[in-house]
Amino acid sequence: MNWLKRILRGVFDHLDGWLDAACGPRFNPLVQLGALGWLMFWLIAISGIYVYVFFDTGVEDAYRSVEALTHGQWWAGGIMRSLHRYASDALVVVTILHMLREFAHDRLRGVRWFAWITGLLLIGFIYICGITGYWMVWDQLAQYVAMASSRWLDALPIFSEPISRNFVNNAGLSGRFFTLMAYVHIFAPLAMLAFMWVHIQRYNQAKINPVRGLGIAVTIALVGLALVHPAESQGPANLDALAASVGLDWFYLPLYPLLDVLGAGWLWGLALGIFVALAILPWAPPLKRPPAAVVSLDNCNGCSRCFDDCPYGAITMQPRSDGLPFSQEAVVDPDLCVSCGICAGACPTATPFRRATALVPGIQLPQHDIAGLRDKVQAACSQLQGDPAVVVFRCEHGAAVSPPADGAAAVIDVPCTGMLPPSFIDLVVTKNMAAGVMLAGCHEGSCHERLGVEWTEKRVAGLRDPYLRDRVPRQRVAVSWASPVQWRARRDAMEAFMASLKGGTETLPAQAGQAGKPAWRLPARGLPGAVRPVLQVVLLAAAMWPLGFLSATPEVQLRAANEAVVTLTFSHAGQHQHECKKLSPEELAKLPPNMRRTTGCPRERWPVSIELDLDGKTVFTATRQPAGLWDDGPSSLFERFKVPAGPQQMVVRLRDSGRETGFDYSAEASIDLRPGQNFVIDFRHPDGFILK
Amino acid sequence: MSGIKWRAEFEIGIPDVDHEHRELVDWINQALLASADATQDRDVVLDLLGEIHTKVSAHFALEERVMRERGYDQLREHKQDHELLLDDIRDIMDEYEAGSDSVEERFSERISEWFGLHFRTHDARFHRHLPGSH
Repeated sequence: MNWLKRILRGVFDHLDGWLDAACGPRFNPLVQLGALGWLMFWLIAISGIYVYVFFDTGVEDAYRSVEALTHGQWWAGGIMRSLHRYASDALVVVTILHMLREFAHDRLRGVRWFAWITGLLLIGFIYICGITGYWMVWDQLAQYVAMASSRWLDALPIFSEPISRNFVNNAGLSGRFFTLMAYVHIFAPLAMLAFMWVHIQRYNQAKINPVRGLGIAVTIALVGLALVHPAESQGPANLDALAASVGLDWFYLPLYPLLDVLGAGWLWGLALGIFVALAILPWAPPLKRPPAAVVSLDNCNGCSRCFDDCPYGAITMQPRSDGLPFSQEAVVDPDLCVSCGICAGACPTATPFRRATALVPGIQLPQHDIAGLRDKVQAACSQLQGDPAVVVFRCEHGAAVSPPADGAAAVIDVPCTGMLPPSFIDLVVTKNMAAGVMLAGCHEGSCHERLGVEWTEKRVAGLRDPYLRDRVPRQRVAVSWASPVQWRARRDAMEAFMASLKGGTETLPAQAGQAGKPAWRLPARGLPGAVRPVLQVVLLAAAMWPLGFLSATPEVQLRAANEAVVTLTFSHAGQHQHECKKLSPEELAKLPPNMRRTTGCPRERWPVSIELDLDGKTVFTATRQPAGLWDDGPSSLFERFKVPAGPQQMVVRLRDSGRETGFDYSAEASIDLRPGQNFVIDFRHPDGFILK
Repeated sequence: MSGIKWRAEFEIGIPDVDHEHRELVDWINQALLASADATQDRDVVLDLLGEIHTKVSAHFALEERVMRERGYDQLREHKQDHELLLDDIRDIMDEYEAGSDSVEERFSERISEWFGLHFRTHDARFHRHLPGSH
């Protein structure tokens, strides 16, 4: 499992590097997959509401209304329908990528199990929405989805009568079923929205909107796809026949073809197996759990800065418990804490200038205490020799730091750059313990602790408490954000920063569009300005192509060209196993007074057996037990056989009594099956078999 | 050096803030006393200044929280003043460490100015702003 994680991590890190170069780290879609999922949800909701206005529920009305929408108003309804489909497909893509990315970054441990598990359940919701959506159009694909889903559901022992019996033939199809589907298709997304809200509950400042430019670009791209490759129905459904093939949406229905290969039971096993395997991942070894942050009440005045900055909402402000005349105190929930240390970085008492009393901040990580950090900085600086000499605070999740040949760097590892109180930078720089300080974090767009990069930048720029003091010259403070594979960028930043320290203040790179007093930073080495927009358009188009292609192609073969289908079905209660009999006075006396009746009728029924012969050969026999806890319900069966088209001699027999041999009902027919025809053998009591 | 005497007018009526104001005055008096004492080790004074810087930082953090919670309309100006004083304390610390002799004077000047001006104007204004006060 860990090798898989490492490979995936490498893939994502490299993709990040390429997309950063093409779009810039802020617009990299891979760092905002969850937010893109939210955008897709809103696009689906808006287009869905529009489509629903023109949608009629009914066996024929459904197809007709969707066709009218697609062709009659292609300029609005058609686009909306296509957008509804492609945004749904894109939702699957971003959700799966989101899951893989969080897995690759191991962001599912500790408190993050909650988002992982609710995310898995959300995937279930996405599929319920998607599958019922395809069902509603009532075209050939809908028919396939209806039949296959019913067959899959019928494998669960919870229905007294197979759902499949709703789809025996056109004559038996009820319009009410579409009303039910419409309800499911509307309420499932509503429930999903509620769950999406739950999904992000444990995060402070969860990102639910992608960067505006990216959101607009993706929306335009999806509308473009809708215009170039409109979503269409695949011919009206016809239960009296079986199409030779049907185009699948491979984002939503990839498991459906397996139904014919594995059977419904195994497919349930497979789906459940995948779910369980994914669900246990947060607790799979190696399970490492560093200790949570601890509060020192003697040093906490309840200023709530740690509460404001905790990315996981692990800190709450509660009424004072120690008698000091403050109103509040910080309280850490160890179950929610991921030990990033960002709280210590926010604490105003975590300053290295504090010497008259012991340096114990109001909140800190026991394994990365601030006093220890001060010792490390002092020890490192006292041995630091070189020109220029730099102190690097390096995030454990980011690229490595290797000091260049000329110059020296002391590297101090921290769980997150957000753990570093800005006063440490003040100390090193203004006391000239080193020529400069570099904050070397992880990837800018996907900070391992979510908000560490942003808080660090803002604290240094004097935009978020605690500020790095104005008096600290920013040309001596650098930031470098780089994932482990971006070690070249890290090396370049290091070299350029050192060169700039040597060269004086003139070489300070301009900070485009940044407010406050930002740190020195090597401008991102992207592609030339003219190439980037072109590349972005190409990338977006390339991302749209699989959405368009896989949403209806390749097709799956449902039957051979010269095959027909025989549907064998019944829902019939067998005869009672025991005759009713007059109750004796003794038996009557045993019954409660309100239940006394003169005759007693045991409820158990006989199982129903059926046998089908084709051209003189028995091709199918089955015995079905009665449904119900008391064996008193109907027995039922729904089976489909593919048979060669052409003349067939058919004999069918059924037994619903306790007789040992022979049958109670039988029928025969000599028919000439057309290719694709669905020939139905149904049994209705007391009429017997209906063959047509 | 006489130090600062706690006066009733310093009270702004929020127990958290008043408690820390009193504590701060104690620390400041200690530092003033130590810096006036020629026999005192310079490191002791420096450590006291560092301590004051820490306490003032924490105190401002708390005060700003209270102001934010109560929707104080001049939070921005008030906070700017806070940041200025923190900058000044750091300047004074560095100058003292560099061996400047006029630091003691500057410190006591800056502190008296602070208690005079910031307290009387900003903190007092915030006090008046509190509901139930006038």
